Amino acid sequence: MNLKDYIASGIIESYVMGLASESERAEFEQMCAQYPELVAERRKFEESLEAFASRQAERPPVEVKAKILEAIGGAGLRSVSSSNPSKRIITMENSKSQRRSGLLRFVAAAAVILLIGMIVLYFQASQQNKELANANKALEDRVNKSEVALQKMIDEISGPTTTVVNMVGTKREPKASANVYWDSTSSSVYLLVKNMPSLASDQQYQLWALIDNKQKNLGVFDATDKNIILKMDSTKKAQAFAITIEKKGGSAHPTLDSLQSVGKTQLTQ
Amino acid sequence: MGMPTTYTEPELVLALKERNNQAFAFLYDNYAGALYSIIRQIVTDNNELANDVLQEVFINIWRKIESYDQTKGRLFTWMLNIARNASIDTLRSKSYQNAQKNQELPDNVYKGTPNQTVQQNVDNIGLKKVLEKLKPDHRVLVDLAYFKGFTHEEIAEMMTIPLGTVKTRIRNALLQLREYLK
Repeated sequence: MNLKDYIASGIIESYVMGLASESERAEFEQMCAQYPELVAERRKFEESLEAFASRQAERPPVEVKAKILEAIGGAGLRSVSSSNPSKRIITMENSKSQRRSGLLRFVAAAAVILLIGMIVLYFQASQQNKELANANKALEDRVNKSEVALQKMIDEISGPTTTVVNMVGTKREPKASANVYWDSTSSSVYLLVKNMPSLASDQQYQLWALIDNKQKNLGVFDATDKNIILKMDSTKKAQAFAITIEKKGGSAHPTLDSLQSVGKTQLTQ
Repeated sequence: MGMPTTYTEPELVLALKERNNQAFAFLYDNYAGALYSIIRQIVTDNNELANDVLQEVFINIWRKIESYDQTKGRLFTWMLNIARNASIDTLRSKSYQNAQKNQELPDNVYKGTPNQTVQQNVDNIGLKKVLEKLKPDHRVLVDLAYFKGFTHEEIAEMMTIPLGTVKTRIRNALLQLREYLK
């Protein structure tokens, strides 16, 4: 093979940058062992790549270095401590019998301290266990309660007497969307906010039931109450539901020019 | 006896193989920036992840320094390839893919539809900047091979061009890159 052509083929760059195939790599390494010129050319490219990369260097966040050194230091410490015990055993074996009785006393004292320590730890642990068990029980009770409430809500929402009202945005706010779940037997009203534009801090949305051309207040909510099911005030009747923007806390009568979204109940359609 | 504050490459390699922490700190101070830059060019839109990759890379360098073979290339070349491989592995990891999905990045970059915003974020640093000087059909191939880690075979299939053409174009592109690096 002509070395010049080989160099001009781009194999050096391909090899250095890790883009050469397995067989190309093997061949290149063999060629390098044979031709010092090829090694010199490879070095040249490596050096210019390194110089370029250094010029383009980007400072990593300082905490990364600390983390790495900590990880490395940890590895170092481990290897030190593993070599220590063997050394200690050697010195013990070499020590004289005189010192052994001293050592024995020391071991006995250490054993007592250890025993006391373990008793203390045991009591601490059992105390902690009790606290944990209590906390667990409280949490379990809460979960059970919420589950019951949730199930009741789901039953109502999915019950045969429940009407799902898809609230559609008005011209003012075409993207506003929410679902009203209204159970005509229990009168419960639930609201699922899907997408309501955010409001000024002194404003809230208010849900209304429209009954015989009158509006009944069903409560206020925020745009941030997204994707959760809100229990609103109940209503026995409703021909439609409407959402308006009102001052925080709600109004007695809807501000109809801020009507955001309306949905008719299927009963009147 | 004071420790050296600077090392030649063989000295540095020797000190690292002897597990010298100070040599490792020196290595980090001198090369972390360059390696971080390449990581960020591959793991483009997630700084948190890029930091993790940098950490992983240096820990791997420390662990694998025994396997570094000076006859096959310079220390930096070896480290650069570790950094590139770790970045590409991250790019293909499930967690990264999921994060990508959530961001709904357009995938039309290689389908002939230019996407300015994506291109700009990614292309204005390091080697990628140099890539801009290549012809578009060459640039795409180098990007797919070097920065996305696809094999020549995968690229040939993806772009429906013969494998031989992929190989020659990438080789030619790298030769041109070499000129721009100077």
